[in-house]
Amino acid sequence: MYDRQVMDTVTLTIDGRQVTVEKGRTVLQAAIESGIKIPYYCYHPGLGIDGSCRVCIVKIEKMPKLQTSCSTTVTEGMVVHTRTPEVVEARASVFEFLLINHPLDCPVCDKGGECPLQDFSYSFGPNESRMEFPRRVFDGEGVRADVDFGPTLMLNRNRCILCTRCVRFMREIDTDAQINITDRGYGSEIATFQEQGVHSLLSGNLMDVCPVGAITTKDYRFKARPWDNPEAVDTICTLCEKGCNTTAWIKAKPEWAKGPQLIRMTPRLNPDVNGYWMCDIGRFDYHWIEGDHRLQRPLVRSEAGTLEPTDWTNALSKVADKVTAAGGTGALRFFVSAQASLEELFLIGRLGGAFGLPESGVAVGWRQREKPQPKHAKFKIPPTDAPNVNGARVLGFPVKTGSDGTADISAFRAAVEQGRISALYVFDPGPDGYIGDVSWLVEAKRAGRLPLLIVHGVVMTELASVADIVLPGAAWVEKDAAYVNAQGRLQGASRAMAPPGDAQEDWQVFVNVGLALGAGLTYTSSAAVRADLAATLSANEAFAGLTSLAFSRPVTARHWLQASNPSERWKWDFMFQDLPPVKFAGTPRATSPPQTIALREVD
Amino acid sequence: MSFHPLMEYDPGRFHHSERKIADEGAPFVFTPERRAKLDEILTEYPPERKRSAVLAALYLVQEQEGYLTANGMRHVAGILDLTPAEVEDVATYYVMFFKEKVGKYVLQVCRTLSCALNGAERVTESLSEKLGIKVGETDPSGMFTLLEFECLGACDRAPVVMVNNEHWHEHATPESCSKLIDDIKAKGEAALSGCHLKVEK
Amino acid sequence: MDPVLTRYVREPNGHTLDFFLQHQGYEGLKKALAMKPGDVIEMVKASGLRGRGGAGFPTGLKWQFVLKDTPLPKYIACNADESEPGTFKDHVLMERNPHLVFEGCLIGCWAIGAKVAYIYIRGEFYHVQKVLEAELAKAYDKGYVGKNILGTGFDCDIVIHRGAGAYEAGEETALIESFEGKRAQPRIKPPFPAVSGIYNCPTAVNNVETLCNVPGIVLNGVEWYTSLGPDKNFGPKLYCVSGHVKKPGVYEATMKTTLRELIFDYAGGVRDGHRLKAVIPGGSSVPMLLPDQLDIPASFDDVAKAGSMLGSAAIIVMDETTCMVWVAKNLMYFYRHESCGKCTPCREGGDWLYKILTRLENGEGSMRDIDLIASVAGNIAGKTLCPFGDAAAAPALTTVKNFRSEFEDHVREGRCTVPSDWRGWRVAAGAH
Repeated sequence: MYDRQVMDTVTLTIDGRQVTVEKGRTVLQAAIESGIKIPYYCYHPGLGIDGSCRVCIVKIEKMPKLQTSCSTTVTEGMVVHTRTPEVVEARASVFEFLLINHPLDCPVCDKGGECPLQDFSYSFGPNESRMEFPRRVFDGEGVRADVDFGPTLMLNRNRCILCTRCVRFMREIDTDAQINITDRGYGSEIATFQEQGVHSLLSGNLMDVCPVGAITTKDYRFKARPWDNPEAVDTICTLCEKGCNTTAWIKAKPEWAKGPQLIRMTPRLNPDVNGYWMCDIGRFDYHWIEGDHRLQRPLVRSEAGTLEPTDWTNALSKVADKVTAAGGTGALRFFVSAQASLEELFLIGRLGGAFGLPESGVAVGWRQREKPQPKHAKFKIPPTDAPNVNGARVLGFPVKTGSDGTADISAFRAAVEQGRISALYVFDPGPDGYIGDVSWLVEAKRAGRLPLLIVHGVVMTELASVADIVLPGAAWVEKDAAYVNAQGRLQGASRAMAPPGDAQEDWQVFVNVGLALGAGLTYTSSAAVRADLAATLSANEAFAGLTSLAFSRPVTARHWLQASNPSERWKWDFMFQDLPPVKFAGTPRATSPPQTIALREVD
Repeated sequence: MSFHPLMEYDPGRFHHSERKIADEGAPFVFTPERRAKLDEILTEYPPERKRSAVLAALYLVQEQEGYLTANGMRHVAGILDLTPAEVEDVATYYVMFFKEKVGKYVLQVCRTLSCALNGAERVTESLSEKLGIKVGETDPSGMFTLLEFECLGACDRAPVVMVNNEHWHEHATPESCSKLIDDIKAKGEAALSGCHLKVEK
Repeated sequence: MDPVLTRYVREPNGHTLDFFLQHQGYEGLKKALAMKPGDVIEMVKASGLRGRGGAGFPTGLKWQFVLKDTPLPKYIACNADESEPGTFKDHVLMERNPHLVFEGCLIGCWAIGAKVAYIYIRGEFYHVQKVLEAELAKAYDKGYVGKNILGTGFDCDIVIHRGAGAYEAGEETALIESFEGKRAQPRIKPPFPAVSGIYNCPTAVNNVETLCNVPGIVLNGVEWYTSLGPDKNFGPKLYCVSGHVKKPGVYEATMKTTLRELIFDYAGGVRDGHRLKAVIPGGSSVPMLLPDQLDIPASFDDVAKAGSMLGSAAIIVMDETTCMVWVAKNLMYFYRHESCGKCTPCREGGDWLYKILTRLENGEGSMRDIDLIASVAGNIAGKTLCPFGDAAAAPALTTVKNFRSEFEDHVREGRCTVPSDWRGWRVAAGAH
């Protein structure tokens, strides 16, 4: 066993430091893992090696020429230099080439401030360029250079450095190779066939992989600069059962300013769940959270038949009155979206227990929809639009699925349609539609077959609009909550921001409803709910982590990136310029005696 | 296609590239003979490596249409299980594929060193004058296109003019090229010679 | 030396199967098939045959490196993408002696254990391809190619694959990429093609002329082969002489022959009334030699010692009417046009150099530009995936090094100072 471990690692020397890494790693990976700074563009840990950008060149002893560290596999005893005058000058010369045609429009470029080309050039590039000819222009100068690149993206070919990460992403991960290069050599351009743009549910990742501002998203375009989004929160996406690890970016804005705070979602590396990627639904479908249809105050149907805003005290007393009028808590039934977290499901279970609900008294629904994707896509988006179907199953909820994975709620539906249910509490904390088709429920309510309908949700859906009482809850980024994804993996979504208006976190709503209806729930935080839940599930190993589940808080972007995104960590080191390494101070020359090359630490 | 209810795609709202894209061309399928020829070529490669035949398939498109049309590239993509983008990726890389409509006779003058040392520039200039077009252009009658080409590998017979990717005219001079044009106008394809070999012992 | 490879190229029917068979055709193959594959490789190693494509790597070693213990099929890729400016030897071999090419491919396949040889021929050689195809069909008919060759039970196919116009496809890994139906862009090495080549299977990529040397070695023996030419540079070699010479053409000689002999004896010397100015000894990618450097054997090692490379043995001769700034620009245009665009230095630097050279040739440059050329070219060299970067840098570096004063004249006079009687009238009027 010990021997095998020895065999599986390789020890080499980089800049005089002994470094031990897993066998099969490249020199670049070894350097990144060891905190030694080597710039790179065409290398991306989630994509195949290309070896084309040439900035990661290093000196390896016993090899005649400088080698690209991204394509050289480490061997035992290898000696690598990244800071010798030869390497420093050669690297600077490659940077000069990279920049001779790159427009200096950083002040208006979306990538500016978080741009590897900017950051690495600052650290490794020459101080000035000797290029005196006009820059290469593809589609136009300035804003004319930004061209349509499909539903989600914009392309600026002038900024492109032809690292081909986007081409490789589409070939290797999406597997529908929609992006190609046209022409060759100096005239090479990134393109799609007949300029039709990228049509893929993974298109947003192209913005992530692009190391310059050539591919930007229409969603984030011109909305914020990196320094406007000082806070980032590690969370997960709850829009389907995959549970991609993501980061929610919070824009700093004064109280009086309009516009949303949640400015974008980006994927966060989790090799076991989503790798480096996330889908466009998770990335772009967050606008509803701060949208016009958010429920911000409890609503109660007035005598005149309209839903009128009210306060929680009044709303909760109305809940108590109406439930009593409809036959008491024993008659109350629940219809729950699988968007509900473990905590929320647990509380519903507690309420059900207190009210003496039969098992058939709860139904769980969700939406099932196929996502159009290439057959062999390496990143598949599952059809189940709910993060916690597995969680509901584990907690003993009657989760019934049809043969195609859809939620089977036919018995519950029949009961409603036959008028056998007098009071229904619907919990729907997801965006509109994620609970599944409820048009029949709306129909039943309109037809008077359902005397009391309480909707506890987040947006003004059609169902909420026919309810007698509407209770505003929290979206997934507004509460700490745990979910069990399709793999059976327990993950937590963190509270990145506060629920809007009078809306409350859902555990709190349940506690208050319980109190109003005489069920003695006494939790004072979601953590308390979780602790109780953990005790209940203590026999189940899969939930051993429940009590220690970490929820992140908004942190400055810098710390977040250093801690959680090893793949792109360097650019953030450079972005804040606390540790720029060696900088070549002169202009690159063809032949110059090594001793004349100025090395200086950047101050 | 808009795949997301919240992300309506309205291309009209955005600036579009002025990049010259391929002509759509007429609806395209290979003639049965060309299709049979491609199928025969495909047998020369392992069945799962159909992509190896992409250059051959593009030659066949060019033979049929005179140049590469978008429809032609789509058809090739369909046969070889590629995306149209992958076909364009390859097609635009190689200089022997014409990406736009060209004349019936494409005159390509080798311009690399050995030919240039032997007067290729004068050949190009005289052809340009004779046809009344610049390098890269097609004459109004659609008969001739004049292009420059990189080393053709016949430097002992410099300068060389290649017609239609196939017929070579060697030891070209302004006079011989002028005659070549006249001959093509008079006799059509019959005026195209071929390649004369000259090897010294 | 009597020509070996090109002995019958001037015979009207020299390219036909019948003629080939009457002149010891496929005898080498017969002999090879009676040997163990490993012994064939040993023999080629002992002959010291070096690759004729440009790098001069020992062919026997290349074959030995081809993975043996693998379930994967193996391939010979015959590199017939002859496109180095100044080179036209494979052109002659394939057109006038196609069966020798096939014989070389078949022996190569036998030696490394391949069942298919793919001949990647440049798209422009369509007329050559037609000859090859017609002759290949005959060879199939007569049982020299295909199933159960010569009754030995050895199966081997030869497939001719047409390229479509890309200089870069001559680089072995780019050739493989192009063969697989992709852009002709080089791959990262290692893995070398001998381990992972065509379809990621072990592959030997050999130049046409190299493979044509093999039948002779097998048939006539190592001793005969090593008696031709100087040490470590054995065997017959084809030289392509072009440019300002009286009799440009392909000449077969041993590598003892000096460059001066090749230019003045074989090719008849420079045009009457003109004198030699510079010689490119191995295709446009190698440094130039000056008239006083020509008394060296045209061998891999001797040309390298003189500071250049034999490369593909393409000797381009320039007389005193040749403006060296223009030469650099002409070749830079070529490299800019043919760069595949993968590596940053070559893609960006090539165009930059071309722009600077154009400015200088037009007489609009500055003295600083001359140093800039050397610097930019030096920054391209050695920093790219394939040797194209070094090749692209060579014309600029070598002209500035050898003819700096001519560059300075252009700057000082603000025009081209070299009289020439063959430049285009229009461009010459502009530049002079």
